[in-house]
Amino acid sequence: MSVRKALRRVAAFLLCAIVLLAIAAGVVTPYSYAHQFRELPNAAPSAIHLLGTDGLGRDLFSRLVYGTRVSLLLAPAAALLSTLIAGVLGGTAGLLGGWSERAILGIADLSMAAPLLFVLIALRAMLPLDLAPLLSVIATFLILGLLGWPASLRVLCAATRDIRNSDFLLLARSTGCGPTRMIFRQIFPNLRPVLLAQFWVSIPVFILTEATLSMLGLGVSEPIPSWGNLLRGLEDFSAVSSNPGRLAPLAMLTIVVICFQVILPSQEELG
Amino acid sequence: MSLSQTTKWFATLLRRLLALVLLTLVGGFLAATLVRYSPGYGTDERELDPRLSQGSVEWMRSQHEQNSNLFRYYGRYLRAAVHRDFGNSESLHRPIAQLLAERFQVTLRSVSLAVFIAWSAAFALAALRWLVGGWLFDLSCTLVSGFLLSLPAAIVALIFVYLRAPVFLAIAVVLFPKVFRFIHNLLSHASGQPHVLAAKARGIARSRIFLRHMLAPSMATLVALLGTSTSLGFGTAVPIEALSDSAGIGQLAWFAAINRDLPLIMNLTLVVTLITVACNSLADYSSRLIARQI
Repeated sequence: MSVRKALRRVAAFLLCAIVLLAIAAGVVTPYSYAHQFRELPNAAPSAIHLLGTDGLGRDLFSRLVYGTRVSLLLAPAAALLSTLIAGVLGGTAGLLGGWSERAILGIADLSMAAPLLFVLIALRAMLPLDLAPLLSVIATFLILGLLGWPASLRVLCAATRDIRNSDFLLLARSTGCGPTRMIFRQIFPNLRPVLLAQFWVSIPVFILTEATLSMLGLGVSEPIPSWGNLLRGLEDFSAVSSNPGRLAPLAMLTIVVICFQVILPSQEELG
Repeated sequence: MSLSQTTKWFATLLRRLLALVLLTLVGGFLAATLVRYSPGYGTDERELDPRLSQGSVEWMRSQHEQNSNLFRYYGRYLRAAVHRDFGNSESLHRPIAQLLAERFQVTLRSVSLAVFIAWSAAFALAALRWLVGGWLFDLSCTLVSGFLLSLPAAIVALIFVYLRAPVFLAIAVVLFPKVFRFIHNLLSHASGQPHVLAAKARGIARSRIFLRHMLAPSMATLVALLGTSTSLGFGTAVPIEALSDSAGIGQLAWFAAINRDLPLIMNLTLVVTLITVACNSLADYSSRLIARQI
């Protein structure tokens, strides 16, 4: 077994373990993420509070596990949305060609005309800042999903164009295969690996973007935890030096993103 | 250059300039649409000020009603923008043109230095990796770039605040792994080309193969990447300037978003779109010129 394969297995195992931990947050954590131990603010790690508490006396371990659930389950949802949009638009552009392709690629170019983070911040600012916590979670990941598609679209459009010009599609057309059958039986199965690759590539990007947005106070609102707003605790250097447990969200985020990097196919493998 | 070539060159340049203007106008229109239809637009908290008379409140309302038609609103904005009047910031109570002029220089300096440093480091490492090689060096490069890629830009900003290091270095650290991976992949692809393999078989020195057979054909793509990394630098400047308290347009954008200063956001979006499109067009044009010469 090659080193890369072994590394991939370890990364996949770690990711599965973290996802399971996030799903079982209610069972694994001793307290609610919002429960405040007012007599114990900024407590050091102990048997009662594994990672200590934050400035409001909330258990950091519970918040980390619930935050993992928010970040790790909603980032794939946003990635799915953006891949779907990219798939539909890119597939249409690649399949139809001509002016439709030019128009759709033009829209993608326009969407990429400003840096993603900048557009996200601008769009998030258009929404009321006092959104309810749950709404802020939905809005953050919805905006990510709705704005993250242009880069994937170009890849999917190119892949569909290749399929359109392929011999097997010409053969299917000449044997009288209808457009619906052609899309679902010939094009979609051949496009699936590209769609999957784009989906997996988008997840770490969205996790990191959510972290940055929440750290800037424009992402998921308190008291709902996410990796991003947990990382805001790192702004207080004295609290970090007295309780290194506050670095746990950063460690978790870094491990997850590295795992995704290891699992994703390399440039050579994609050919 | 012959007359037909000059004409063709001017036609291409004109087409690109036109595309730049059109993209900026459409981008501005989209920003104006979002601002115009965002929740709470048209409400003024000054209306709650008991010191103002009914007449003053009516006047404020009539001012907002003038903007009820989106096209008229955007048209009025463009007319004023031509005369360098971008309106006033609602949160900072200062002319937006003045704010942009002050802050743009800071960000431009940071981003230019960051792009230069990130590119120099990424290119030097990618070249060394090919010229010197060795599994340890290879592994170190992969680990460092992989680790940096997995850090959110805001965390890099915090680390640099703790280290009291300059903002441009933080932006460079965020840009470096992305640029490095791209250059590395490009060089790896070039090293597998038949002409490079033939040159290796003939016993030509590695440095000569690198410069003449790998780098030269990749120049056009590298120049195109330069444009993308500049726009990436402006995007990265937002969290880094916000958390490092650097008075650039990144911090201004964050401040505008936090205070929901919609006119400021609209102008910033327009300026950043213009910069990004201009950088990409310039890089794309230069890349095509180089590709033609190769």
